[in-house]
Amino acid sequence: MDMLIAPERLELAEAVRDYLSGTHGPEVLRRLDAGPNRDPAIWQGLVEMGLTGLLVPEEHEGLGMGLLDAALIARECGRAALAEPLVDSAFVAVPWLLAQDQTDDLAAIAAGEQRVLPAHTINGWQADGDGEALDSVDPLRNLSALPADASDDPHLLDLGALMSAAQLVGLAEAMLDQAVEYSKIREQFGQPVGGFQALKHKLADVAVALEFARPVAWRAAQAMDDGAASAPVHVSHAKIAATDAAFLAAESAIQVHGAMGYTYEVDLHFWMKRAWALGGAWGSRAFHLKRVDDAVIGGALAIGPEHTFA
Amino acid sequence: MDLSYTLEQDAFRAEIRSWLAANKPANPLVTLECREGYDQHVAWERQLASGNWGMVTWPEAYGGRGLDLIQWLIFEEEYWGSGAPLRANQNGIFLLGPTIMEYGTEEQKARFLTPMAAGEVIWAQAWSEPGAGSDMAAIKTTAYRDGDHYVINGQKTWSSRASFADWGFGLFRTEEGSQRHKGLSFVLFDLDTPGITRRPIRQLHGHPGFAELFFDDVRVPVENRLAGEGEGWKVAMATAGFERGLMLRSPGRFQATARRLVELFRKHEADAAPSAREAVAKAWMDTQAYAYNTYAVAAKIMAGGSIGAEASLNKIFWSELDRAMNRTAMQLLGAAAELRRFDDGSMNDWLEGYIFSLSGPIYAGSNEIQRNITAERLLGMPRVGAG
Ligand SMILES: Cc1cc2nc3c(=O)[nH]c(=O)nc-3n(C[C@H](O)[C@H](O)[C@H](O)COP(=O)(O)OP(=O)(O)OC[C@H]3O[C@@H](n4cnc5c(N)ncnc54)[C@H](O)[C@@H]3O)c2cc1C
Repeated sequence: MDMLIAPERLELAEAVRDYLSGTHGPEVLRRLDAGPNRDPAIWQGLVEMGLTGLLVPEEHEGLGMGLLDAALIARECGRAALAEPLVDSAFVAVPWLLAQDQTDDLAAIAAGEQRVLPAHTINGWQADGDGEALDSVDPLRNLSALPADASDDPHLLDLGALMSAAQLVGLAEAMLDQAVEYSKIREQFGQPVGGFQALKHKLADVAVALEFARPVAWRAAQAMDDGAASAPVHVSHAKIAATDAAFLAAESAIQVHGAMGYTYEVDLHFWMKRAWALGGAWGSRAFHLKRVDDAVIGGALAIGPEHTFA
Repeated sequence: MDLSYTLEQDAFRAEIRSWLAANKPANPLVTLECREGYDQHVAWERQLASGNWGMVTWPEAYGGRGLDLIQWLIFEEEYWGSGAPLRANQNGIFLLGPTIMEYGTEEQKARFLTPMAAGEVIWAQAWSEPGAGSDMAAIKTTAYRDGDHYVINGQKTWSSRASFADWGFGLFRTEEGSQRHKGLSFVLFDLDTPGITRRPIRQLHGHPGFAELFFDDVRVPVENRLAGEGEGWKVAMATAGFERGLMLRSPGRFQATARRLVELFRKHEADAAPSAREAVAKAWMDTQAYAYNTYAVAAKIMAGGSIGAEASLNKIFWSELDRAMNRTAMQLLGAAAELRRFDDGSMNDWLEGYIFSLSGPIYAGSNEIQRNITAERLLGMPRVGAG
């Protein structure tokens, strides 16, 4: 039993964090918002890091890594509010194809030449698909009408929900950081507003929510990787915990920014809108709560101290 | 990350499970907060110790089993899962014990740890004073040196179980004229030393669960000091880290409450509010999240890491989730919530649980203080005016 993520496992995610913070800062989000919101150069950078092939087995020219590794990187994508459909294609669609032994396209996906954009009936739209365009509040999302052949496979839903949870963790972390930074520089009543205890306690609550969402997400990723029968319940737990943390982070961050936070000029809105989007995607709160409820109150899952890892 | 237990861990779980099944008191004990219940709980501590279960992580030389923190968590899971009693010994084994392990001399370890694990000496924490609650650095009680003794004068308060306990661990001002965090020392004392007067204080539920302690020229040998003179604050902060971070509230206790809450909900499902249903699902989720986090902290410590200010996040989380679970139970019980005993004669443990849960956000450093620590030390927010 080991709940620690090995440091060498974190290295790749840290490299992705460094890469994205160097090449994909808020100025890039603003540029994408102003012009075409996808950029082949950004995609190419992700391909060169091997990320499109992260979950592709080595015999198909990928890195053959696991869902926990992918989730840790999805968190970094959330932190950077990455718009390119890396998570959907490489971390949601690829493991789904693998689960069905559909391996023909994997080498092309790993090489970044092809993308598979998942379409699931639970969403009612497809992201980065080719159908008729739908308008999202998130200016960097490309939503289109759900194709007729969309899947209703619960395994695909679990993968989508898990990776949304991981991105929501990163989004929440980024919003918390932005709020803390702003609180140090904005002065009122002759002091930085971050010195006011009301704001400290608000942001401390975000830190608490995050502290107890993260291990849930990683545990769910590992459970899916292990093929545990209970994995869907843990995915739902992760989705709820991460969504709640992200909404709390968003509402707290805008409050700390005052009117500045209500403008289009301050970058916070990119993260906030992605959080709203992913919070509802891949199963609403009600959907996931019901799955937990059925397992826990319905009695399908063993609960109590002796069953921590059931 | 590996979510499966080893064969050795499974075997250990089976061992403690069967020992508890054979030895656990058949009927619930009287509350720990009164004389009769305290005595019952101490007897149980001694029985636990007779099976070598006093504190499994300690070296065998001190009455432990030399096990690691994961095994300790397994022990705790089985312990709370079996419905075994509260630990009268908790301040000793979870707070003072680890502190002695870190700061004590070999002589002090031998002298204090063995009787602690055996349940022979029950400890009370004596830090708070009437003028030093959240602001613990305002401690005034003095322990000035007189030859090879300290002479203690002043008053401590809110000392849990001090009405009945054997020994206390206190924080005293040993340097004359010192201010705030400086000049404090961590001193252990026999609660029966001449000059100490204990005055029990009735708690919300009516029992004398904590006490005031008055010190009038109380002479304590210098060798009872833990770590150096003037290093008391540092030592106390290490103890507080154990209190908030890992040991005092292991997840098993809350997971057991969550399971009882699920069972209660099933009985009242027909007339439960929709919000109660969500609160029950959340009880399971939050207690699980707390358990995952604790396993991660344990693994981190085993890998050579330590607990820092993130202990504050833990303390906020467990205390507020405990209160929320007990509140939900009170709401589910409706008109029966106020009854101390139900119609069938059984104790209303939810009422006791709810009352006790109200103290969680206050003791071990109030949650407001924990939020300050989180904001300032973890998030790096400015430490200027409180506003
Ligand atoms: C059941 C129980 C058992 C206890 N057991 C022990 C024990 O065994 N040994 C022991 O030494 N002590 C014990 N205590 C005492 C406990 O440690 C103190 O109650 C605690 O430190 C708070 O101090 P206080 O009660 O004086 O509250 P105060 O410090 O007077 O606080 C009152 C209110 O003001 C808030 N406040 C204070 N300062 C700040 C600030 N800077 N920012 C924001 N808000 C602030 C507090 O959060 C609280 O809400 C126990 C308490 C309880 C309830």
